[in-house]
Formats: sequence, C-alpha cells, structure tokens
Amino acid sequence: MKINTKTRTKFETVLFTLPAVILVSMMIYIPFVSSGYYSLTKWNGISKKATFVGLSNFKTILFESPQFLKVLLFTSKYTAWFMVLSNVLALALAILLVQRLKLANFLRGLFFVPYIMSMTIVGFIWKFIFSEGFARLFQMTQWEFFRWSWLGDSKIAFYSVVLVGVWQQLGFYIVLYIAGLQSIPPDVLEAATVDGAGGWKRFFQITLPLLGPSITICLFMSLTNALKVFDIVLALTQGGPGGSTYTATLDIYREAFQNNNYGLGSAKALVFFLVVLLLTQLVLWFSRKREVEI
Amino acid sequence: MMLRTKRNKLKLGLLEIFAIAVGALYIYPVFLMFNNSLKTFREVIVDVIALPSRLAIENFSTVVKRMNYGKLFMNNLIITFVGIVGIVFFSAITAYILDRTRNRYTKFVQFLIITPMLIPFQTFMITLLKTMNTFRLSGSLLGLGVQYWGFGIPMATFIYTNFMKTIPREIDESAMIDGATTFQTFMRVIFPMLKPITVTVIVLDVMWIWNDFLLPLLMVNSSEKTKTLVLAAYTFVGQYNTQWHFAMTAMVLAVVPSIIFFILLQKHIVKGVVAGAVKG
Repeated sequence: MKINTKTRTKFETVLFTLPAVILVSMMIYIPFVSSGYYSLTKWNGISKKATFVGLSNFKTILFESPQFLKVLLFTSKYTAWFMVLSNVLALALAILLVQRLKLANFLRGLFFVPYIMSMTIVGFIWKFIFSEGFARLFQMTQWEFFRWSWLGDSKIAFYSVVLVGVWQQLGFYIVLYIAGLQSIPPDVLEAATVDGAGGWKRFFQITLPLLGPSITICLFMSLTNALKVFDIVLALTQGGPGGSTYTATLDIYREAFQNNNYGLGSAKALVFFLVVLLLTQLVLWFSRKREVEI
Repeated sequence: MMLRTKRNKLKLGLLEIFAIAVGALYIYPVFLMFNNSLKTFREVIVDVIALPSRLAIENFSTVVKRMNYGKLFMNNLIITFVGIVGIVFFSAITAYILDRTRNRYTKFVQFLIITPMLIPFQTFMITLLKTMNTFRLSGSLLGLGVQYWGFGIPMATFIYTNFMKTIPREIDESAMIDGATTFQTFMRVIFPMLKPITVTVIVLDVMWIWNDFLLPLLMVNSSEKTKTLVLAAYTFVGQYNTQWHFAMTAMVLAVVPSIIFFILLQKHIVKGVVAGAVKG
C-alpha cells in the first residue's frame, strides 16, 4: 500500500507537469534549437532541403557585410536613450503623482493609457502627428521646430522613434516607481526633515537609495523591452528613411520573411540572442553590485 | 504656522496645475485620434486640430462594415480566451506540483519551464513558423490560442510558484485525509485560493495577447477569416493612408476595447502590472 501511494505520487508529479513541459518545448525549445541548426545552412524557407554551409552565415554577418552590425549599433543606441529617458521621466512623474494632488489617481490612470494600446496603433497615431499634426501646428505658430522632417531625416527620425517608444511605455515605469515610492516608510523622510535635510538632499540621500529595487526592476524591464522593439518602428518608419531606423528584430524579420534568407536570418537571430543575453546579465550584475554597496 | 500652511497650500495648488498641464499634453495624441475619427474627410484635411463641427458618426458604421469589425472582435475574443484558459490551468497546476514536491525531477522541470523567460521571441520566430506548420497549429484561431500556452506558461508558472509558497501545506494535507485525490485537491481547494494571483495572470496575459502583433502576423495574417483586430487595423490604415478620417476611426475601434478593459479593471491592472514586474 505504501509503495503504491509513492508510485502514484511520482506518476502524478510527472503527469501534471508534463503538459507544461511539452507545450514550452513545442513553442520555444524546438524552434530555438532548430534555429541553431538552420543558422548553419543556406535555406530559402520553401525547398525541403537546406544546404549545410558551416559558419559562413556568421562570417557574413560579422566580417563581410557591416549591415547587421549597424543594425545592432542602432538598437543599442535606441536602448540606451530609451532606458535613460523612460527611467528619468518616469521617476520624475512618479514623484509628482505621489504628492497630495486632488487628481492624482485620475492622472495616474491617464499616463497608463498609451501602455494598454497596441504599439502598432501608437506608431500610426504618431505618424499622423508628425506629418499632419505638425504641419498644422507650423501654420499656427510658425515655429521652425514643427517644420523639421521628423520621419524623413535619418538623424531626427532616430529621436522620433525614441520619443514614441518612451511615450508608449512611460506609464508602465511610472506605476512601478509609484509602488516603490509608496513602500518608503514616511517616518524615515520625516526624520530627515526634522534633521534639517532639504528637498534635494532628502531625494538623493534617502529616497533614491531606498528605491534601489524599483530602479533595478525598471532598468531591467526597459532594457529588455527596448532591445525587442519592433511594432512601433514598423508602423512609424518601416525602418526608413534609407534603412536608418532598422532595429535588430525588424532586420531579422526582413531577412527571413522578405528576403527569404532563412539561414542568414537564423544566424542573425542567434547573434542577437547572445547580445541580449550579454547585456541583460551585465545590467543585472551592475545593479546587484550597486545595491550591495548601498 | 498659519503662513506656512498657506504657503504649502499654494505650492500644492501650483503643483496640481502643473501636473494637469503635463497630463493633458501627454494624452493629447490619443485625444487627437478620437477627435479626427469624428470628422469628415474635408475637415481632417483643412484642420487636424480643430474640433469637428458635427460628429461624423457615420465614419464608424462605414469602417465597422469595411473592416468586418464584428468578426475581428470575435477572432480576438477566441484567441485570447483559448490562450488564457490554457495558460492559467497548466501554469497553476504545474506550480502546485513544483512547490509541493521537491526533488531532482521537479527542480529540472522548474528550470526547463522558467528559463525561456530570458529568450526573446524574435530569436526563434523564423523556425517557429516551420515548427508550428509541422504541428498544424498555424493558420487557425484555435492553433494560435494554443501557441500562447507555450509562450505564456513560463512567466505564469513563475508567478504562481512564488504565490504557492504562501499557501500552507496543511490545507492540502487535510483535504487529502478527507480522501481527495491530488487533482481534486488542486481543483477544489488550492485553485480557488490562488484567485488573487490568477487575476494578475489574466490581466497581464489579456493585455499581451489582445494587442500582440508579431505572432499573429506570422501565424494568421494570410487569411481574412483569421485576422486579429490589430492586424486588420494595420492593413486597413495602410490602405487608407490618405483617408485619415477612416484610418483614425479604425484605430479608435482597435484600441477602444483595451481602454474600456482598463477603465473597468484599473485597480487590478495596475496591481497586476506591479506584481508581474516585481516577481518577473
């Protein structure tokens, strides 16, 4: 009887966890591993057989054609700007929205609205604003700023993409920072005030260090979200002008599904995966180190 | 002292005005979309900023018909529903077993299921299409819903596992003594107790699946019958890129369900987002 229950428990352990294991393997591990295999081949996605070409795809990416490196550089630059802007602005707005304002709750909701909208639609809204909206604002104000080619000039287009990306996600980080700010015990701040610490001093010496965990989370989330940017760019610029706003994910997509180079695309995806892994580990290591110091 | 509180009040009042101004500027793009969706073509061309002289409600009936909105809405509902049910059920029961039974097998399973949270979808999307063709899960609403099980389980299992630790083992032990099987204990006793975290998982996954773009683009974009709301809006705006009044209406129709969902469940959504991020 005893052995019977034990076998039964073992059987149940496997039975109830097996669906999850199978599903995750089907959707993630099998494609991931086969992506590793196809990165070593030349394959157009249609023919039954892929030709094995060894490491030649990686050689192309890293040494022969600088295009993917350029794309990775753009993605990193976007990520850096996105991380700094979204964290600084979100923290500033979170501090504003934890004050005793009558409309604080309403405003918190307001800032969250773009985050629940589809990124594709957000891209389209801003495309409309950059073209039609700014044209009309220029008529009204004559400010040169509104006449810039926000999506047509490759230098400005970069900042347009950053602006829209930050605008869409800001509410998410605001919510996280508000939660962090609210977990700071008010008596700690009061004690500091009594001790004569001014507003800025209180912020840098008490609030900011105590926000450590929130900052880590927000940095990490903004990093992974920025690296994966796809929908917004597709709707806003489609990678243009002149390919200047191609992100890594958009380039992988194009290589495989538009150029039909599935092998080369898989190789790019693998390189991208390694870059993401490296950067996320780096940020995690950095924030852990900083948190310990505090 | 009186003077001090008066000054503080003034400061707070100015802060309030500042906050409202920033908020209004921030949300203006969304307002602009609604504004222009209610104008005639002529009015949009003449002045995108002015308010409509009369509400052009007919834009909505036209676009609803041209987009086949009812069908799209149903498609989204089916995909999201199928996805959520599977993610919640399989993740919750897996987390239950992983927390209650600790051995080499469950440790390995936990590692296997949670690690994919670190693998960006875009790094294997190319071969995903081929794999899903093999399993016959591409090209159908149900198949797409099932695919979300695999993508949603890692994070949901992780969140559930953290929460399971807070439910004392005595509870399932007493149910077992009463003669319930493991499955019965889970369904009747444990799962109801997971409700707060189930709400979190549902909220996070609804927001994700409902608005997802890339996976549906790969899997169900080839047929009009299986398109999702966002995919159809994407195509529609592309086709009507000079007729902005219709494009704006289509965009409004695509985001209105999310906005209503948010207004109704604001508290749960904000709480869920915080819980999901902190635990993820």
